[in-house]
Amino acid sequence: MKNIRMPIIASISAVIFLATALALLISLSVLQQYDGIFYVYGQTQGIARGQQQITNATSSSNLLSLLSLISQGSSYQGSKSAPVTVIDFSDLQCHLCARYVKNTEPMINKTYIQTGKVALVFKHLPNRGFDSMPAALAAQCAQDQGKFWQFHNLLYEKQGPIDSGWANKDNLKRFASQISGLEMHKFDSCFDGQKYKSFVESDIALAHSLGFTETPSFIVAKSDGSSPQKIEGPQPFPAFKAVIDKELGGVT
Amino acid sequence: MRKILANRKEQKRRERERNVEMKPINNNTLTALTSLKTTIPLVFGMVFSSDRLYVAIAAAVFATFWIVLNVFDQLLFFSPVVTFYLPDDAITGFILTNITSVLMGILVAMNMYIFRDSIRLKFDKSIFSGSLLAIASSACASCSSIGFLVTSTFGGFGIVTIDLLTNYQTPLRVISIVILLWALYHVQNKIIKPCVMPN
Repeated sequence: MKNIRMPIIASISAVIFLATALALLISLSVLQQYDGIFYVYGQTQGIARGQQQITNATSSSNLLSLLSLISQGSSYQGSKSAPVTVIDFSDLQCHLCARYVKNTEPMINKTYIQTGKVALVFKHLPNRGFDSMPAALAAQCAQDQGKFWQFHNLLYEKQGPIDSGWANKDNLKRFASQISGLEMHKFDSCFDGQKYKSFVESDIALAHSLGFTETPSFIVAKSDGSSPQKIEGPQPFPAFKAVIDKELGGVT
Repeated sequence: MRKILANRKEQKRRERERNVEMKPINNNTLTALTSLKTTIPLVFGMVFSSDRLYVAIAAAVFATFWIVLNVFDQLLFFSPVVTFYLPDDAITGFILTNITSVLMGILVAMNMYIFRDSIRLKFDKSIFSGSLLAIASSACASCSSIGFLVTSTFGGFGIVTIDLLTNYQTPLRVISIVILLWALYHVQNKIIKPCVMPN
């Protein structure tokens, strides 16, 4: 009896093993390289199934429209007529946000923003430490003078350990003074007076209403705010590409 | 006076005896450490060639920990598409994750071996402390929902805790690996001891 069972068990095991290997091969089907970084990714579940649809999409679509975001005073890159908007909820102290800025954002910029297909909007979600809020306020004061992205890039470049003092008020002012064309007396009065505190708080409220608690988090939507898709974490370019291409209707 | 002198002599004699007793213990520890070269491969052979089940257990535990730790490290994503990538700043963490996962796989398989052979019916406590430390340090190091949950639950204290775990992620992971190595040393001792003939 034992002799009869053994080949059956062996065959079943072999089938399970082969099925698992095949599933792995299908799911991890693509190994690609972008700018020296290897990515393994697959699309077995289908993009649409993999997406987390925002539950209150219809009510928030107006809030997420590109023109509405720009009129509120949010910083953006790209064309106002871009068909797709990527909304980035980040903390200037978060090292994973720095990872996204260093690895993924340049590729999105080159592929989609420079070509006018995507507009990138920045929203504040300062929740990583005590110095996160002052950093967000300072960045918004730089935005007052049209220098947000310079300040944003400078902070991510000079980023240190959380709450280690690298983003304290004095250092934030010092960083601001390094940006050419930024008038320091205007910046100081804006920053010291916490001019944009309510603005940053409204960004946080928007992030929470969308269910975001971690940074960086993203919404990829059509320019009118419809069909919003969530991306959470500092995901690599292929993940963004899959969602953006879907929003663009397959046209790249 | 004689009594006092006699007591002192007795004390000195006891101390000498104690020192003599200590020497073999130190030698034993040293011998045990140097004999790891022989005992570790022996234990590996005993556990993993005895039954394919232990290889399967080790592989399953390794895979589980590898997935969990890489998800926490934000290197592996399942949504919107299954993606894994390794940026420059994550290489050290990724190496430590692999070491932790391998050690966890080996340790759980070895503990299962002990458990099944009924030599000891207990898991080594240091496995739990090591794995918990590894998971906590990587989970909190990512700007994840777990970090937010701790921050929102414990307020300022939570922020300080998350800051510490984030800023000292690498040393904490090294500590967790040391704990796991310590656990491995104990587990291999438990497996090998019944084979050693008493003096």
